Amino acid sequence: MKHAFAFVVLIVAIFVSFTLQEWLPGIHSFLGARWLFVPTLFCFGALTFSFPAMVALAVYTGLLTDLAYMNVAAGQVEIALGWSIVYFVTVGILIRGFQPAYTRGHWWILIPVSVVVTAAFLALQFAMISLRREGLVFNEVVFWRIAGAGLLAGIFAPFVSLVVWQAGQWTGGPARQRVVLQ
Amino acid sequence: MARTGSHAHVKKLNIVLVLVVLVGAVFLSTLGVGPARALQSIFLGLVSPFVRTGAAVSQQIGSVGENLKTLDEIEAENKELHLKNRELLTTNQMLRDIEAENNKLRQALGYRERSVFYLLPAVILSRDASTWWNTVKINRGFEDGVESDMPVVTETGLVGKTSTVAKNESLVVLLTDETCRVAAKVEGSVEQGIVSGLRVPSVGESGAIQMAFLSKGADLQQGQKIYTAGVRGGVFPSGILIGAVKTFRARALDGQALLEPAVDLASVEDVFVIVGVK
Repeated sequence: MKHAFAFVVLIVAIFVSFTLQEWLPGIHSFLGARWLFVPTLFCFGALTFSFPAMVALAVYTGLLTDLAYMNVAAGQVEIALGWSIVYFVTVGILIRGFQPAYTRGHWWILIPVSVVVTAAFLALQFAMISLRREGLVFNEVVFWRIAGAGLLAGIFAPFVSLVVWQAGQWTGGPARQRVVLQ
Repeated sequence: MARTGSHAHVKKLNIVLVLVVLVGAVFLSTLGVGPARALQSIFLGLVSPFVRTGAAVSQQIGSVGENLKTLDEIEAENKELHLKNRELLTTNQMLRDIEAENNKLRQALGYRERSVFYLLPAVILSRDASTWWNTVKINRGFEDGVESDMPVVTETGLVGKTSTVAKNESLVVLLTDETCRVAAKVEGSVEQGIVSGLRVPSVGESGAIQMAFLSKGADLQQGQKIYTAGVRGGVFPSGILIGAVKTFRARALDGQALLEPAVDLASVEDVFVIVGVK
């Protein structure tokens, strides 16, 4: 019951994050890199929930991501719906390899995982756009928008772990459950 | 032994689950523009209350000082008059452009009189929601008569075109997006080309747009104005100001100009959707 409640909270948090992301402007110092909370929240879910729950979360996150960023160019959907689902399922499976360490209390694992997953998501998105359009463009703005978003995800990640840690302490759960909801 | 068997069974179920999801994802990827836009429209409808609340909060925060000084009724009336004024200015600007072109065409070819547009005022709710696309959300949808691929303008020039349209909201692809392509002509010249945004503008080119497929010897001058060409069957009617030339360079096969958009797309708040012709 507790797990189901935590899962619903994460689902709602991801949904709200899509709206919140719209309101936060790009970071000028990072040449327009944006705060992306959704990949970090997904990584947290992949590190804490069971495999079927992770897959359900990947489908939900992927579908909403595709719909939020869908763009029609020249009468065609630029990046086909469904690719984000495949992306999140794939990285979700890989992330689960870190679950035992996260379960043992290594909360910091969420930081590098979030950085890599966020940056890789944007890099793949940009690669797909480039394949669709006229050739690859790469400059420092592209680099910073990808790397900067990754770094921002790394800043956000500890707060996610901290919130869950605090929630675990308030509910008085054992040490393992303070970090991991599974 | 039983535990090992159960573990293997769970693994098999997990593999089946992943395969089912992958098949579903492949099915989604085969959806055409229509169904995909319908799905996105549902999504926009779902997030709409949050976006509108955010927009209202943002507006309230921005106008706290003003609210303390003015009465609500006066503010509302002022807004209405301001909107009307902008609408008239926009119509006036378009009429002047169209009139000039119309006179020229009438004299030369006896073309029929050009029509005036119906303008639907709209407010930008949120902007630049993604890293790679330049879009904004406006507070008008199909209930207001908005459809996909309708031009969006202000009294100073072109803003972009509508993309996905939800019940009370629409996505607008800005002129600064690479996928928003506009057939354009150069003021005082026979030169024509395609205006589009830059995929990722370099430092110093932020907010700029480009005009490609000009002749190599076009030699455009800084400040020359660029207008929509109004291709038959296209999205944008003729004579809407796009921007002014910043620089021009001859490339291997064509000429390319960097333009300064007529509308400050980073700060524009009120726009008009051209929903029809009178």
